[in-house]
Amino acid sequence: MTDAEFRVEDLPDGTKRVILTGVWSLRCVQNNFAELRDHLAVFFCNPFTHWDLSGVDQLDSAAAVMLWTGWGKQVDQRMVLRPEHTAMFDMLASLPTAHSFASGRGSVMMPLQIMWDKYLEFFGHIIGFLNLVGSLILEFFYILKHPRNIPFKEITANFYKGGVLALPVTALVSFMIGIAMGYLMALQLRKFGADIFIVNVVGLAGIRELGPILMAIIVAGRSGSSMTAQIGVMRVTEEIDALSTMGISRTLRLILPKVIGLTLAAPLLAFWTSAWAIFGGMLAAKLQLGISMEFFLDQLPKVVVPVNLTLAVFKGLTFGVLVTLIACHFGLRVKPNTESLSGSTTSSVVTAITTVILVDAVFAMVTRSIGL
Amino acid sequence: MSQSGFACEVTGVWTQYGSTVIHRDLNLGIRTGEVMALVGGSGSGKTTLLRHIVGLTTPSSGEIQLFGVNLANLDRDAARQARNRFGMLFQQGALFSALTVYENIAFPLRELRQFDEEAIHLLVMHKLALVELEPKHAWLLPAQLSGGMVKRVALARALALEPELLVLDEPTAGLDPDRSEKFVQLIKSVRKQLGLTVIFVTHDLDTLVGMTDRVAVLADQHIIASCSLPELANVDHPFAQNFFKGVSERLERTDKWKIAPTH
Repeated sequence: MTDAEFRVEDLPDGTKRVILTGVWSLRCVQNNFAELRDHLAVFFCNPFTHWDLSGVDQLDSAAAVMLWTGWGKQVDQRMVLRPEHTAMFDMLASLPTAHSFASGRGSVMMPLQIMWDKYLEFFGHIIGFLNLVGSLILEFFYILKHPRNIPFKEITANFYKGGVLALPVTALVSFMIGIAMGYLMALQLRKFGADIFIVNVVGLAGIRELGPILMAIIVAGRSGSSMTAQIGVMRVTEEIDALSTMGISRTLRLILPKVIGLTLAAPLLAFWTSAWAIFGGMLAAKLQLGISMEFFLDQLPKVVVPVNLTLAVFKGLTFGVLVTLIACHFGLRVKPNTESLSGSTTSSVVTAITTVILVDAVFAMVTRSIGL
Repeated sequence: MSQSGFACEVTGVWTQYGSTVIHRDLNLGIRTGEVMALVGGSGSGKTTLLRHIVGLTTPSSGEIQLFGVNLANLDRDAARQARNRFGMLFQQGALFSALTVYENIAFPLRELRQFDEEAIHLLVMHKLALVELEPKHAWLLPAQLSGGMVKRVALARALALEPELLVLDEPTAGLDPDRSEKFVQLIKSVRKQLGLTVIFVTHDLDTLVGMTDRVAVLADQHIIASCSLPELANVDHPFAQNFFKGVSERLERTDKWKIAPTH
């Protein structure tokens, strides 16, 4: 195969003739049509140039398109073509051009349209979420009536995956934050000579705030994203439809165990997280302020009233439910393409964390007179 | 270039996963311009062989030459150029699900960086017309297409760079008989227009009889026969005999083989 070549002849009437030879095809890997187009650009511009394609061994659609666009999308008397070339150019002429597509871009109404779409989408989410909660409540009553249908295996599996396997990472994160916070507070408290109050600060912050919120954020990132992805892929691969055709409720088998499993695990994880945060703070107090661990532990129950623990349980339960519901909700909205799967997983985690923090702020306001 | 007469040559290929042997000293040659079908029982390693041929996997030992070169021995740019000389149609289409039909077909053309948007538009429309899809389908997403359309778009994408060799993995699986007949006609007409070499794997006897020049039978971990369909009668192997029974019924219905029985 010889690659695409051309030579130029001067005609008696002062015009030029471009003679193309060789294989004008992508199959010949040496061909670079961008370069060829640049070399031929001078002749494309001149409307009196003659073209001779009779020496071309092979002309594929790519080369034909390159020549045809160069010629201004027309073939006339100046071109000498082989019959198969004529067929190719006729074919190209019959194709719709870019202009024949009416595009809806650049309209004045565009921003309004986008806002309206977002508004509708938001309500779509609210309705979908309420649907999910409603069907969960119905399923809950169903299993109360039919205790044999309680999916114990799935619940325990989710408890293990979302709770037990999250123990190391929650411990590490909260321990580190406990140390950081302990050091920060120790320095400030020392200025006022209020060293002893480190117990109050670390104890209250650890149990009331850090434990539940850190737990919720880590669980949203860890279990929430995996739940969304799992349900999403099951939707894409029609596994959820397969469940439905077997007469098994997807809410009962997929969603409910996740909600119950993680909701049960969440308060326990919150305690675990609190404990490590307090341990971190305790270590910082010992190193920075010389407060011994025995004294710290002795002082802790006196300054942190037990109602704070009840509050932590409530927060843990609420956050667990929220994270799981949001994860399942976004999982059920995944459409069968890669973009939707990644988008839904991101939305799931972002929405879960934002909601948890919002709810936490509400909790802080409502419970400001309890246990402080 | 590939003047040896073979678009693809497989010599002495062994494939082993742990203690499981899939290919045992397998040899196969595909001549330039022919349509070769690869048949064999389920799990006989047909798809694995196709994946070896296109360089997705490498055999444990042995050599595979595509257009006279071994893909594994080429450097990055040369391998890329060589890969542009064949197009593969995957069983499920393998369209990029986040891109529209238009963008899917335009993707290999854009990657070549030789064409401007106007040329790409014309080329995409040309490929769509080639696989008998309408221009309005260009703006759909793969999830909105029917099974037959997914295959046709995948074929258009495989043909975007004007390949010499087309590799098809189960081209008609999952299509109804009418659609699959149309798809076979489509591949035949495209092959005629573009002068392609085709390798394909199929379980569908109608597709096989409709398209193929030669058939390679994969059984007992190697190619037991590679011959034209009527010659399959002379192959002494239970799988080939069984297979030929199904083929011969269909051959009788096709005039093609009655006129030139051994060609």
